This record gives sequence, structure tokens and C-alpha cells, in this order.
Amino acid sequence: MPSFSSLKNLIPVCQLPAGASARICELTGDDSFCQRVREMGFGEAALVTKISGSSTSLCLVKGTRIALNHRAAMSIWVEPLPANAR
Amino acid sequence: MNLPSHITPPPRRRPASAPDRAPVYAIVGNPNCGKTTLFNALTGLRQKVGNYPGVTVEKKIGTTWSQHGRPIQIIDLPGAYSLAARSPDEAVLRDVLFGRREDTPQPDRIICVVDAANLERNLYLVHQILDLGRPVIIALNMMDMAATAGLKVDAAELEGELGIPVIACEAVHGRGLVELKLAMSRVELPLARHRWDVPGPVAPAVTDLQASLRDHDARSPLIARAEALLLLTDFDAVRVAGSRPLSSRTHQILDQWRQRWEAEGTDWSGLLIRSRYDAIGLLCRDVIVRTRETGPSRSDRIDAVLCHSVWGWAVFAVIMAALFFSIFSLAESPMNFIDEQVAGFGGWVKGQMAPGDLRDLLTDGVIGGVGGIVIFLPQILILFFFVGLLESTGYLARAAFIMDRPMSKVGLNGRSFIPLLGSYACAIPGIMATRTIENARDRLVTILVAPLMSCSARLPVYLLMIATLLPGDTMPAVTKAAIMLGMYALGTTGVFFFAWLFKRTLFKSAPQHMIMELPPYQPPRLKEILRHMFERGWLFLKNAGTIILGISIVLWFLTAYPKHPNPDATATEQIAQSFAGQAGHLLEPVIKPLGFDWRIGIGLITSFAAREVFVSSMGVIFGVESAKDDTTPLRDALRAAHWPGGAPLFTPLVCLVLMVFYVFAMQCMSTVAVVKRETNSWRWPLFQIAYMTGTAWLVCLVFYQVGRTLGY
Repeated sequence: MPSFSSLKNLIPVCQLPAGASARICELTGDDSFCQRVREMGFGEAALVTKISGSSTSLCLVKGTRIALNHRAAMSIWVEPLPANAR
Repeated sequence: MNLPSHITPPPRRRPASAPDRAPVYAIVGNPNCGKTTLFNALTGLRQKVGNYPGVTVEKKIGTTWSQHGRPIQIIDLPGAYSLAARSPDEAVLRDVLFGRREDTPQPDRIICVVDAANLERNLYLVHQILDLGRPVIIALNMMDMAATAGLKVDAAELEGELGIPVIACEAVHGRGLVELKLAMSRVELPLARHRWDVPGPVAPAVTDLQASLRDHDARSPLIARAEALLLLTDFDAVRVAGSRPLSSRTHQILDQWRQRWEAEGTDWSGLLIRSRYDAIGLLCRDVIVRTRETGPSRSDRIDAVLCHSVWGWAVFAVIMAALFFSIFSLAESPMNFIDEQVAGFGGWVKGQMAPGDLRDLLTDGVIGGVGGIVIFLPQILILFFFVGLLESTGYLARAAFIMDRPMSKVGLNGRSFIPLLGSYACAIPGIMATRTIENARDRLVTILVAPLMSCSARLPVYLLMIATLLPGDTMPAVTKAAIMLGMYALGTTGVFFFAWLFKRTLFKSAPQHMIMELPPYQPPRLKEILRHMFERGWLFLKNAGTIILGISIVLWFLTAYPKHPNPDATATEQIAQSFAGQAGHLLEPVIKPLGFDWRIGIGLITSFAAREVFVSSMGVIFGVESAKDDTTPLRDALRAAHWPGGAPLFTPLVCLVLMVFYVFAMQCMSTVAVVKRETNSWRWPLFQIAYMTGTAWLVCLVFYQVGRTLGY
């Protein structure tokens, strides 16, 4: 479990509903994965919008569509943003 | 007219220190930034395509002309998000830029192609490259797409901030190319005003590593600093054949710092990346202006259908069906044409030369062997046209996205789908396409299972066996099609089964993370697709044709020698006592439990060069070619063949078993050679031969013996 489990409003990207936006809070994968995700601009504090998918997720980050498999989507923890803040 | 600083004409007299030769440019950028389109637009057809020695990463070098008519060489390097390599493709980019490769000179200047619609992310790689202290030109590509996305990207502002030429362009429409060529023609290019603060906790490590790289690895001070920064984010340190290893002292310093940070809990890699993005954020503050808010883009609307959990699969199924229909129906006429031309040419050569070994070598060995490969060119070209079309429009990445779920069931991910799709035409381009798979284990598993996909070389064997099994006038075409589809399904099942098995035994590892960019949809660029198709077709002919030529000559020798003592012996009698015939007899005890005799054994041996050789071998063995006035086709000759006791040889069961054998057996020398080159060892191609042919034997044994027991 991630170290921030006490923060109840954090969910992995795979659980983010389609159409919802969120802010990336923490990456929990291995070092190599975290690094690549950050290098692609998908790092902490980036805004992400889920387009579709449950087992494989399709997201929009900084205008780029990114596909994540389930394992990758489980490793990116986000804080959903209220609808009026999107 | 006042020209911008970067296109100021060069001085009349070149400085004495200027090198005499024209500078070599490297063209780099993120995947999907339009790098290859720009490279093609600059170089036209003046390109040389090859491989970096030891790896199957494509090496493309082209030539363009300066404003003074001097040739400028451009190296097109593989696309990458970062210099911290994750795949052999990215490792080649890193090693060429750092001058680590013995076979490629370090480029003098670098053109960084960036997607204006995704500027900040694209500038991450540029930021790393600026550390190298080399002259850089930025090509700000896809300005039209940025405008569509409601972004105004100020090239002049970026140029002012960095102090290097920044050229706004749209490579697809040829806009900005003249300005880019003018900038490239400059005798001297300014170095970037590149400032960024290395985070405090990692700065001492950078200094230590820089000193070691300078003193123990013979790096220049600037390269040493850039490489020191890179080493701190290069977790996997993917090395490829041809790149020089680092000294033990540098490794030692790196390990010491990593251990210290791990103990302290310092996220050194995250710090460096954040620090770079902070610097890029500052740089872009006045460069990018959002002119208007835009709703869902065209790509978003298309993705809503093509990536939908139901409609996505429906569209995918239709596209795949269209692909296979095209490969097997559109290719038929050109394949027949090539077949006739090769046969006609062989006949003409035969008529021009006196009978003898040289004539037989040329007609049966060289023309027959190479013709056997050339005949598949139409299918290969159609496959590459379709793959190019899907790639150019942006759909291929969506296909990988859709296929990720089924692939994950066997431990692979969507990235393995594209190489496997290519293997339906030929395993060689399929295996070469695995180089984009980041994880080494996934890549190896994909290479090992790709030849199980029923390639086009298996078609002639399937067609002959189906014709023998089910004569045209007795069975409906749908039954034949069902058997054919069954063979394809069997091969595909084999791929999934062995991938699952290997991922749970030999290459046991946790499921991998997959993160993949899906490019925006674009109209297909026919010119580029055709260029890509012909390039790939030529590489296929070069790679496969040369090996087939050699093997065909060897096989011809094995079937032609030793000569039969009776000069009037028939071709069947000659082949029976040749080296190949003797080998067939030796093999018979092993294949008899599968229902095969020594004559089929010869076919299995000769078709180790390539599966389709089986058909021509059967023609020679059963004397169809030598029967001058007899028009009986090969299938009738096969149906008339008997065991010495009088029992028919090609029973329906044997025909089916033979097809099953070709589904699984590794009968392709060209694939063996490519796997050896890709894995850089004989271990994996030999393992592949053993497991595939072993499986073929075992499955056929079960199939035949059960069939016999059931009375077939």
C-alpha cells in the first residue's frame, strides 16, 4: 500500500471514472517505471483526464493521449477534482 | 530584406578553423513528432537504410544540399522520450549522441524536432541534448496542429530565450523547410544559452562522476557533465552491441552515490526530472499562449468509437478481416504473374544452355530458390502497405491498446501485438519489429513465439495438402477454407500457449507496466506509406533472398550429388540416392510414427531452408516435372503415391498431420539467421528450433496415432 493510504480521497487511475479529471499525487511502481512516467510529463502534480477503459486505461495528459495497462494504472494514484474545478 | 539571425548568409571566407568537410547532422525527437516526415522531406530519395552492427535497429542516413550546393549528411536516429534508454532503439540514440558507438561518428550538429502541440514534454529530450554542448537547431513542427488545439507557439520567443535557431515548420506540408535548410547551411551555429540548476543533493555526485568520466573514460568536459547527469537517471543502463562500456571507477562512484541516497531516502532521479521540467516551465512561460479553449478534438471523438469496449472490438475485427482478405486475395494475381515469369525465365535459361550441372545449378538452385522467395513479395508489400496505413493514421497504436487485454492474459502487453501481426506475412519483419518492446524478457518471448504465426510461406504447403486431401470436385470450398482457417487458429493458439508457458517458466517475471502514447489521428500520407512499403520490401528481399540463395545452392548440391551410376536415371531415382535421399532414409525411423516416409523426409529436410521449398521438392521427388508429356498435377501424383506394401502414403490423415507439422516446426533458415542477429547469440535460435520442431513432432505423433486408432 502507498505511504499516503491515510488520505482517503486518493484512488488509482484505473478507478477514475471515464470523463473525470484528477491530479496525480504519487507514483508507486518500480523506479524505472516512475522515471519514464515522469519523463513523459505524467509526474506528480500533473492533471489527468480519463477518457475510457477499465483494464487498459486511456488518459489525456497535457494534451497527449496515453494508454496505460492495468498494472501501470494501478501504480498512479490521483486525487479526483470536483466537476466545477475541471 | 532583414533576415533573422540564424539565416544570415555565411561570411565570404570561411574561418581557418572550420572543418573542411560538411557537418554531419543527427535528427532526433520524441516518437510521433514528425521526425521521419521531416527527414524524408529534407533528403528525398537520397537515403541509405541499413542496421547498426550487432542490433536490428535501423540506421538511416540521407543527404540534403546546403544553400551553397554542398552535400549535408543527416542521420535519422530512433525516436525517444529521453536519453535514459529503455529499449535498444533508445540506446542507439543515446550512444550515437554520446559518441559511444565505434561504427557511427558522433554527429557535429543536432536537429531536435519537437511537436509544437506538446511542447513542454518534447523539450525534455531537447533539454538533455543541450547539456551535450553541441550546436542544436530546433524544428518546431506541427504548428498547424498546435493552432487547432488553440495554442499559439512563439518560435521567435523560444529562439530569443535559448539563443539557437528555432524554425517553425509543418513537415507534412513542406512548410519551413527552406528556412531550416538555410539554418543548416550556416558555417557556424551558436551554442544554446542553456541554464538550469542541478538540484543541491545530487550536485556533488554530478561533479564526482564528471571527473571520473573525464579521467577514466576519456570524455570531453561537456560530454562528461551530460553523461554524469544521464547516468543518474539511467536505471537499466540498456547496453547494445557496439557501444563502449564505462570504466569500473565510474561504475564504483555511481554505486556509492546510489547506496548513499537509498540509505538517506533521497529520490535523486525524481529530483533531476522535476528540476528539468521546472526549467522547461520557465522557458515556456512566454512561448506558449492559449488563444482559446477548445472542446473535444477530432481525435477524441474518433477514439470514443475506436477505443470503445464494444465498438472498438467490432472495428478492430473488420480492419483485421480486410487486412487478411487483401493479403490473400489481392496478392493472388501478382503472385501468379511472378510465378509464371520465374518459371519462364528458368525455362529460357534451360533452353539457352547445354545440359549439365551448371545449368541445373542456375535453373533449379539459383532461379528456383530465389524465385521461391520473390513470389511472396506481393503479400509482404500488401501487409506493409496496410501496416503503414494503420500507422500513418494513428490506428496501429489503438490496435495495440485494444489487444493489450488479451495479450496480458499470457503475460505480454499490447506492444507485442504489432510484431505478431507482421508475422502473419513473414516472421522476419515481425521479429525486427520487436525492437520497440522495452522489456527485454517480453521482447525475447515475442521473438520466440512469432514464427508460430502462420506466415505466407506455409500457404503453398497448406494449399497442396488441402488439394490432395479434398479434390476440388468433391468438397465445397467452404470446407477447404475452414481447414485453412483451422491451421491459422492452431498457430495463433500456439503463440498464446507458448508465450504463457515461457512467461511462467523461462522468463518468469511480474507483469510489466505498459505506458504508450496514442498519436492524434491524421489523414494517411500515401507517399510516405509507399516509400516505407518499398523500403521494407527491399530489406526483406535483401535479408531473406541472400540467405535463401546460399541455402538453395547447398540444397541443390545435396539433391544432385552423388550422381546416379546410370546416366539415364530419372530425377526420382537420382534424388533417392543423393545425399538428401540418404538423409531422408536416415530420418524415416523418426518420422514413420507420424505417417511420413523417406520421400516426405527429403521434403522436410529441403524445406528447412524455407517452408515453400517442400512443394518443389515433392515435384522433383514424385517426378512431376520430368513427366514431359504428362499433365498430371502434383496433387494427383501425391494421391497415387504408396508405401512399399501398397497402402496409400498421402491419406487424408497424413495430409492433415503434415499441415500440423508445418504449423509448429521451425522450417525457415532466414528466421533462424534473424533471431541469431536480434538476440546476438546462437542459444535462442537453437532453442527455438528445438522447441518448435519438438512440439511439431509430438503434436503430429498424438494426432496421427489417435487418428489411426479411430480408424482414419
